[in-house]
Amino acid sequence: MKHRMRALAWACAVALTLCACKREQRAFEQSPSPTELALKSGISLPSSTPTAKPSGSYEETAYAIAQGKQLFNWFNCSGCHSHGGGGIGPPLMDDKWIYGHEPGEIFATIVEGRPNGMPSFRGRLDDSQVWQLVAYVRSMSALVRRDAIAGRDDGIQKGKPEQRRSRAEPQNSSEAPAQ
Amino acid sequence: MPAIAAMSTRNAWLALWAACISISAAAAGGDWPMVAKDYANTRYSELGEISVANAANLKLAFTFSTGVLRGHEAAPLVVDSVMYIVTPYPNYLYALDLSKPGAPPKWKYEPKPLAFAQGMACCDVVNRGVAYANGRIFMNTLDNHTVAVDAKTGKELWRTRLGDVALGESMTMAPLVVKDKVLVGNSGGEFGVRGWLAALDATSGKIVWRAYSTGPDNEALIGQEFRPFYSQDQGKDLGVSSWPPEAWRIGGGAVWGFVSYDEKLNLIYYGTSNPSPWNPEQRPGDNKWTSGIFARNPDTGAARWFYQTSPHDLHDYDGINENVLFDLPTAGGSRPALIHPDRNGYLYVVDRATGEVISALPYAHITTSHGVDIASGRLQYAQDKEPKAGKVIRTICPSSSGGKDWQPSAYSPKTGWLYLSIQNLCQDMEATKANYIAGTPFVGSEQKMYTGPGGNRGEFAAWEPVEGRKKWSIPEKFPVWSGALVTAGDVVFYGTMEGWFKAVDARTGALLWRFKTGSGIVGQPISYLGPDGKQYVAVLSGVGGWAGSVVSAGIDTRDSTAALGFANAMRDLPSETGMGGMLYVFALP
Amino acid sequence: MKRMHHGSLCLSALSLMARNASAADSQDALMPFGVQAAHIHDLWQVLLWACMVFGVLIVIAVTVALWRAPRSSETTPAEPTPGLHTLSQYVVTGALVVSIIGLLGLTVASVMTDRALAGLSEERPVNVKITSHNWWWEIMYEDAQPSRTFMTANELHIPAGRPVIATLESDDVIHSFWVPNLHGKRDLIPGRTAKIKFRADSPGSYRGQCAEFCGYQHAHMALLVIAEPAEAYEKWADRQRASANTPAEEQKKHGESLFLSSRCAMCHSIQGTSANGKVAPDLTHVGSRRYIAAGTLLNGPSQLAAWISDPQRYKPGANMPGTTFSSEDLQALVTYLQSLT
Repeated sequence: MKHRMRALAWACAVALTLCACKREQRAFEQSPSPTELALKSGISLPSSTPTAKPSGSYEETAYAIAQGKQLFNWFNCSGCHSHGGGGIGPPLMDDKWIYGHEPGEIFATIVEGRPNGMPSFRGRLDDSQVWQLVAYVRSMSALVRRDAIAGRDDGIQKGKPEQRRSRAEPQNSSEAPAQ
Repeated sequence: MPAIAAMSTRNAWLALWAACISISAAAAGGDWPMVAKDYANTRYSELGEISVANAANLKLAFTFSTGVLRGHEAAPLVVDSVMYIVTPYPNYLYALDLSKPGAPPKWKYEPKPLAFAQGMACCDVVNRGVAYANGRIFMNTLDNHTVAVDAKTGKELWRTRLGDVALGESMTMAPLVVKDKVLVGNSGGEFGVRGWLAALDATSGKIVWRAYSTGPDNEALIGQEFRPFYSQDQGKDLGVSSWPPEAWRIGGGAVWGFVSYDEKLNLIYYGTSNPSPWNPEQRPGDNKWTSGIFARNPDTGAARWFYQTSPHDLHDYDGINENVLFDLPTAGGSRPALIHPDRNGYLYVVDRATGEVISALPYAHITTSHGVDIASGRLQYAQDKEPKAGKVIRTICPSSSGGKDWQPSAYSPKTGWLYLSIQNLCQDMEATKANYIAGTPFVGSEQKMYTGPGGNRGEFAAWEPVEGRKKWSIPEKFPVWSGALVTAGDVVFYGTMEGWFKAVDARTGALLWRFKTGSGIVGQPISYLGPDGKQYVAVLSGVGGWAGSVVSAGIDTRDSTAALGFANAMRDLPSETGMGGMLYVFALP
Repeated sequence: MKRMHHGSLCLSALSLMARNASAADSQDALMPFGVQAAHIHDLWQVLLWACMVFGVLIVIAVTVALWRAPRSSETTPAEPTPGLHTLSQYVVTGALVVSIIGLLGLTVASVMTDRALAGLSEERPVNVKITSHNWWWEIMYEDAQPSRTFMTANELHIPAGRPVIATLESDDVIHSFWVPNLHGKRDLIPGRTAKIKFRADSPGSYRGQCAEFCGYQHAHMALLVIAEPAEAYEKWADRQRASANTPAEEQKKHGESLFLSSRCAMCHSIQGTSANGKVAPDLTHVGSRRYIAAGTLLNGPSQLAAWISDPQRYKPGANMPGTTFSSEDLQALVTYLQSLT
């Protein structure tokens, strides 16, 4: 009886440990992505086209989301969108998505820009960086794997950390932004 | 040939003189010919029909919907029975025919600014008004154009591009016409732009001169005429040496406030904005010529004096607040002075001929400084309120929006008092590393604003500039973000962010009348004499601006730092008002 | 074809990696080249000798105790012989006294060393502000006149014989500043400001590195301190204050335009151009530095090309993404950057 309990306990521990592996994966970009090669050779991409690289793995990796958060501040996304609440740009933490909430749509928003003031970052960001940003943006309304979302900030408290927010089911907003 | 040339010159001067006379006559005759009423920026109406005795009877005369739903910060203009209104983006310009019942629109001009420019406006896509001269209306568009429109027909006469949205520049200020020049300035202190004030020829739109707010003397138009009063403003190329190398190119100093003009001294006065970025650790030095007041010759742009209200600005206090010209009574007579209520919480009285600070007294709750040393003219910062990267500094009062932001005050020569809209907000602030990417914000600061001591976020007060103290004050629930208007009937008008348009007694502050408009008021009220000989009071209602962006930009206040910190202080605004865009005009029955 | 080209670049770059650093870059706490390191070295010697002596004594005492321990039989009562009892009392008391004196002495030595470290003369100092990032060092040379300040990264030049006062801050996690030939370790903690002062007493180049685990590339976060005679230092500082060289030739111009129009300017800055990025090392004078990537690679054209193409190969996890420049473009960019001396 004691042996069986011990074996069971070990099995549980091993299983739990293995569960966390995916969350901790880090894939450092090694080679150019299809989008980059396409852009270089002058091929124009249709809008909302995600690249061949699946974005799913970015959304399940704590590292990718954390990197996305860092890039969000570095590249001044937070200058217009604040930390999800908006300002010069619309909020990103709520359920309203003017241009779509799917990863490919957010990718297009970042790379192509949008008419009412969102600049285009084409040629300014690596694809992997854009996917990291996409993952972070989606994590702001808890649309990604919860245990991979960033925890408490080290800076001034802005509100509930991303990990503690409840999922905001996206409503694709058909309302045009004011003018 | 010389005779003809002489005649053309003479005609030109005659035309100029006629223009000046007509503007002054218009002002005296009951028009509101420029956003600040007159060159001294008094916003004082000589009309006395509406008085303390009868203001309670004011009734709505007519309204007009602008068709736009963002912050309406403009002042309407009234010239020759036509009212001119400019809206926030997309900057529609309407001319309303006041001689017909209901004031129907005569024409509408659509400048069609770039939609992309909306992403460059730090604090809502506002426009603070237009200017009139010689049958033309001059306006700025959000995407950096100054446009001249025929006042009778609404046809575009010329359009000049002055800046680049790709660099984060935009234009929101109300132009001022001085003699034959249209004075305009840019916005973008949050985007690392290089600030400037430019003069365009009113006839052709060509740029006659442009004075930058940073950089070498020849670009800041600092030359032989420059005689700053204080030693820290004297020296060669201070616009370069008071910055780390090359930082002045992305140094801010935008000119988005109001310009005043002294005809006798032939000097214009205006303020320069905050230096970029907000994080002061990235720009050691005094950062000239930002956060200060310039006096310049309007014909050439040559600087006469400069006074820096907030050297090495630590909290985005800017310097763009209005400079109201008045004559300070002295023992021997009077002294030409100006009143400048700055964001840093001090109300400055400055000699407008020399730039000497006569007094600088607090009109708001201040923790960020101990005072202004009159001998050296230097603001004495409190060391413990200096932002540091990675550290949260608390109880910074006034907040970055200041004791008073752009919303202009009014001065009554009858009472001798200044009437101003005050904010009572403090903030917690954390400096962060600002990364410069052209066309994106260059700020480096997170802040959360909250109510200051007393529990009221706003205040409307009367200030006596000689004694240097408040005569009365009205606490308001929200920051007061509207301009002020004072009349010869001793009635003061202002609007609240919930939408109340109020009339109070200029001498006591007693509430005489109020009207609930459809949306919060962030515009500048005016008063004019209608074609029927009655006095009218007009204001634009439509909440927005920096303080109102919680409503106008749909901010999610779960992020306390949104809207550059205002989200935390304005969580309850959406429950009190929604977006709007309407002109309200009132008169006695 | 491109892959092969880059591959061969990688191999050659690897062979030149700074792991095989030249003997000139000393990194040795036992060879002090500065007064602070000398103080610490002295204390270390005192501790070493004192502990050695005590250690030997203890070993002897234990040996003696084992040797002379009385063997008891089953019937012998466990009582020490009287003489031995007195001897052990003396030995124990003596050892206690010697230990206390020794400890006090070492404490005094430590305190004196601390005082000596703090007492470094601050006459005519060079003031620098060092901000640590993952995984590079940002260095700002301060000056009373702001237009005389300048920025550099990963390579700290100092005048030999003059004190250096370094303000230490961190942008992300805890790092530690450690240049063993010149001083001990000082942590850079986010949200706090620390100070360290040191002086190099003879010209030379001294390697330092981050001494507090800070993430994936903690091991590749080296800092090179180059102490120079006063004149050479002033010349270097004047050079650093100047804006970047404007390129004259076609290839370098092309390189500059590539830099400004692609991703580089998002993070890096080159003073005098429109590139003002602040989150990566300042490259205004990158051509004059001995190493790149915080001491990971030597600063040569092939290494720079390899680094720009694929930084993740040398420093996986670093915040610099790879690029896909054609070989001509890469060549132009590298030539331009190497010209920024």
